[in-house]
Amino acid sequence: MRNCICALAVVLAAPSVEAQEVPVEEVTLANGMTVLLLPRPGDPNVAAGWIAKVGSVYERPGITGVAHLFEHMMFKGTSTIGTRNIEQDLQLIAELDQVKGQIGVEEGALLESYRLGQIDDPSDPALRSPRHQELIDQFDALLEEQSQLIIKEDFSRLYSGQGASGMNAMTSYDFTLYFVNVPANKLELWFWMESDRLLNPVFREFYSEREVVHEERRLRTDSTPTGKFQEQFDALFWQSSPYSWPVVGWPSDLEGITREEALEFFELYYAPNNLTAALVGDFDPAEATELAERYFGRIASGSGLAPQPRTREVPQLSEKRMHAFAETNPQVTIRYHSVPDGHVDEPALVVMGQILNGRTGRLYRALVEDQEVATSASGGQAGFKFEGMFELNGTAKEGRTPEEVEQALYAEIERLKTELIGVRELQKVKNQNAASNFRELQANFMLMYRLLMRDAYRGWETINSDPPLYESVTAEDIKRVANTYFTPENRAVAIYYRKESDGPEDTRLAGLDQAERQQVRQMQAVMESLGREQLAEFLNQLEQNATQVPPENQDMTEVVIEMARERLASVGAESR
Amino acid sequence: MMRLFTGVVVSVSLFQIVDLSSAGQVIPRHPTELQYDSLDFTPPMAADHRHELSNGVVVFVVEEHELPLVNLAVTVRTGSYFDPPEKLGLASLTGSQMRAGGTTAMGAAEFDEQAAFLAAQIGSGIGPTSGTASMNCLTKDIDACLDLFFEMLRFPGFQADRLELAKSQVIQQMERRNDSTGSIERREWRRLMRGEAHFSALPRTRATIEDINRDDLVAFHREYFHPGNFIFAVSGDVQTDDILLELERRLNGWPVRERPTESVPVPQVIPMPGLYLVDKPDVNQGRVAIGHLGTMRDNPDRYKLLVMNDILGGGGFSARLLTRIRSDEGLAYSASSNFGVGVYYPGVFQAGFQSRSETVARATAIVLEEIERIRSEPVKDEELENSIASFVETFSRSFSSPGSIAGLFASDEYTGRDPAYLVSYRENIAAVTADDVLDVAQRYLDPEALAILVVGNLQSILAGDPEHPEFSLEALSPGEVVRIPLPNPLTMEYPER
Repeated sequence: MRNCICALAVVLAAPSVEAQEVPVEEVTLANGMTVLLLPRPGDPNVAAGWIAKVGSVYERPGITGVAHLFEHMMFKGTSTIGTRNIEQDLQLIAELDQVKGQIGVEEGALLESYRLGQIDDPSDPALRSPRHQELIDQFDALLEEQSQLIIKEDFSRLYSGQGASGMNAMTSYDFTLYFVNVPANKLELWFWMESDRLLNPVFREFYSEREVVHEERRLRTDSTPTGKFQEQFDALFWQSSPYSWPVVGWPSDLEGITREEALEFFELYYAPNNLTAALVGDFDPAEATELAERYFGRIASGSGLAPQPRTREVPQLSEKRMHAFAETNPQVTIRYHSVPDGHVDEPALVVMGQILNGRTGRLYRALVEDQEVATSASGGQAGFKFEGMFELNGTAKEGRTPEEVEQALYAEIERLKTELIGVRELQKVKNQNAASNFRELQANFMLMYRLLMRDAYRGWETINSDPPLYESVTAEDIKRVANTYFTPENRAVAIYYRKESDGPEDTRLAGLDQAERQQVRQMQAVMESLGREQLAEFLNQLEQNATQVPPENQDMTEVVIEMARERLASVGAESR
Repeated sequence: MMRLFTGVVVSVSLFQIVDLSSAGQVIPRHPTELQYDSLDFTPPMAADHRHELSNGVVVFVVEEHELPLVNLAVTVRTGSYFDPPEKLGLASLTGSQMRAGGTTAMGAAEFDEQAAFLAAQIGSGIGPTSGTASMNCLTKDIDACLDLFFEMLRFPGFQADRLELAKSQVIQQMERRNDSTGSIERREWRRLMRGEAHFSALPRTRATIEDINRDDLVAFHREYFHPGNFIFAVSGDVQTDDILLELERRLNGWPVRERPTESVPVPQVIPMPGLYLVDKPDVNQGRVAIGHLGTMRDNPDRYKLLVMNDILGGGGFSARLLTRIRSDEGLAYSASSNFGVGVYYPGVFQAGFQSRSETVARATAIVLEEIERIRSEPVKDEELENSIASFVETFSRSFSSPGSIAGLFASDEYTGRDPAYLVSYRENIAAVTADDVLDVAQRYLDPEALAILVVGNLQSILAGDPEHPEFSLEALSPGEVVRIPLPNPLTMEYPER
């Protein structure tokens, strides 16, 4: 016999799908911390995590990125972990902060000169005053002294040496989540480690970690083809809301946030009543409850409720547009302001997104297969805690423009506003939801993650109470929300064109097709890296080969030869 | 089997908790003082789950009835190494178009629609050295889903307009080849390690994709998709006897042919040590790969190599590379190493990181130092113990779902690996000593043989860090300095130098 979560019927005619009950045991500790327990026998491991109901929207200008930077600091150890001598360590941390403060004054002077256009690079060591350099040397000496005390990555090693794996954390707009997988017999280690870093955190190595976070920003945003543009689009789309700044923070803030500001953030948002922990896997709930009380119960209650973001998005009055030239295929993003997570209109918006998406969804069928205007197209509702948006995307097929894709997306929006969704079309989405409700329960880690995330939004119980809301969405609901939110003045549009060159377009490229232009630009790059003699040799070869080039490439070859001659002339000039 | 998710929500009141906490247990001062019960874990054995159909086809079944879901996957002996040189991309398109192109009896749109309505996840694909087709569905729909799945497996339609669409998508994707430093790094690294003539480094081009037509797909499928080439892995809410009968019935009348005899081609080059530079002027972060060839999977030293690499750079936050480059110096967000072991030819040892242009040379110097250090002094006992413990204690994670268990068995069967290694794995890891680590580091890591690939803004990268002018990338090179230009993304022709 099968024992399944059951009570599920996916039948076209009868919309009688019952939602599963995920039987979480919820424990509330005396200090206000919530602990969710879901024992699941199987392999001898436990997916363990906790969530702080804080993310980048709880920040303010000047300290953007602090929630995420703080997340990094939580791995730097405690008064017990990560140090050989806590007293000396704390003493050095205080001295480091003090010197860093004085360096900040010196940097402030350089920043002012930079602001006035008197210097080009405020980080240029050559511009430092003797006092400034002296302070930096002093700071480095203190760091050197401290490095003798620090046990590097002690927190991580204590876990991995006991077979814990996948230890990490993530920060989003709305929450910060810390997670790890522990072998079933090491559950107490998890309680020890996590309660210790909440109780006795020491934010050592703060300034080098700030650098690491800046590297993370370079990796994820600055060095990706569209990262910087997406960031700009967010800032354009959200006018007053804190969703306008990136989770990772603005560069100036990352360079300036102090240890004190991070500590202040901790005091406000990491009190037990703002935290929820969850365990999913092979464990005994009675034992886990006892451990939770013994370890997490030590943490003192906070002084009250954590402050919530106050600034709401102001209504948008007119359409916003952005035209970007990026190293990406031509594409369009259309965003409408919609509703936050859990709003009564959200289920209809989510189901509408599902109708649009996927291989059999309306967008792929219409834009990719029928009209052949796009190579991919998608759309969907994104409900954050305090705001929400509905986004549509499409990438233009070669020879078609992003503006054509934009119009094709509007045509689909118009269909949603004027026609009712078909019965079978709607049932298909509901069948998929019924199956994915089960699929989401397959992996313990994902289940732990979902329970915590839901708890940070509206309570973990929504894992059981949301599915019926999606099941009851009607075709009329979808038509209604389409008419409510999809208005031109409520949207922002980002059009991306493939970046053709760094400077203004070279008129000589006008007669060439895209592949040829690309080739010419590559040759140009090669030429720029060549010295005078190599360049002369290169030009010589080009001229010799010019006669053998097939007729269709003749134009391109001539352009390259011309460029090489110009380049040779200018290199000659420089060397004089 | 387990019975879960049938209860109701229990909320424990504060009073109960107070009672529980009166157990009088103390909290140790340091986590190393915690006492743990022993953890007994016996891995499932392939033999207990292995079955052969009457036609000789191997089927692994792992039952698990907690959720009403069934997984079925078939591994197919094929791969892109069978691509004809003028039609590179054929295997990959055949794999994706089996699922996308309908069946001979049912149009592509109709097939998609039926699968979507059943909420069945059906997929297919062909990679470098194997092909797969898979299905995940609700138990109650298994018959209808198996109908769709076997229609696809045996009678794919390869509908022409779907193929044209896929080809245009592949070509459009090609245009992006030089857009991100990550894709440039992966491509050039493969070319350096495997040589440009090896199948794994041969690039598809606009011309090879355009040359592929429907008949090619039909022929490729006919050649490799037959029961003699199949290994099945079934898991989830099935009864073993039922599913074996079902497979028996569905494969009935499908002739079992010989397996292909061509072995996977072995690369013919040994990578040249040196510094390889690719210019990508508009990014502020350089990507770096440092390495040389690794070894074969069946090398008896592989447990020692696992531990050695874990301590050097494989062990995440605890490993030396991340500790030094990230924690000590703040030079990179991620840094790691992998000592690759190959099934058909040696894997690749690769260390790498991404760092701000100015600090690329400094971080590179650290990687080289750490490679030198692990070759010259024994690792600390603590490092060794931590590394061994982490391998031993995470062993059970490989068996965390019925799908992963069945998949592991099928993969070992496909690559001809004796499942006995699972029994001795933990013992073999635990037996590794500090001397072993030093020994394999000396024998398998060769600073003289390293290739260093750098992708990024070369001007800033070569200028280096004004605060640390002592680090120069060129000075660190173990060989020649070679600049690699960006190729035309559609023809993959590299500009003449």
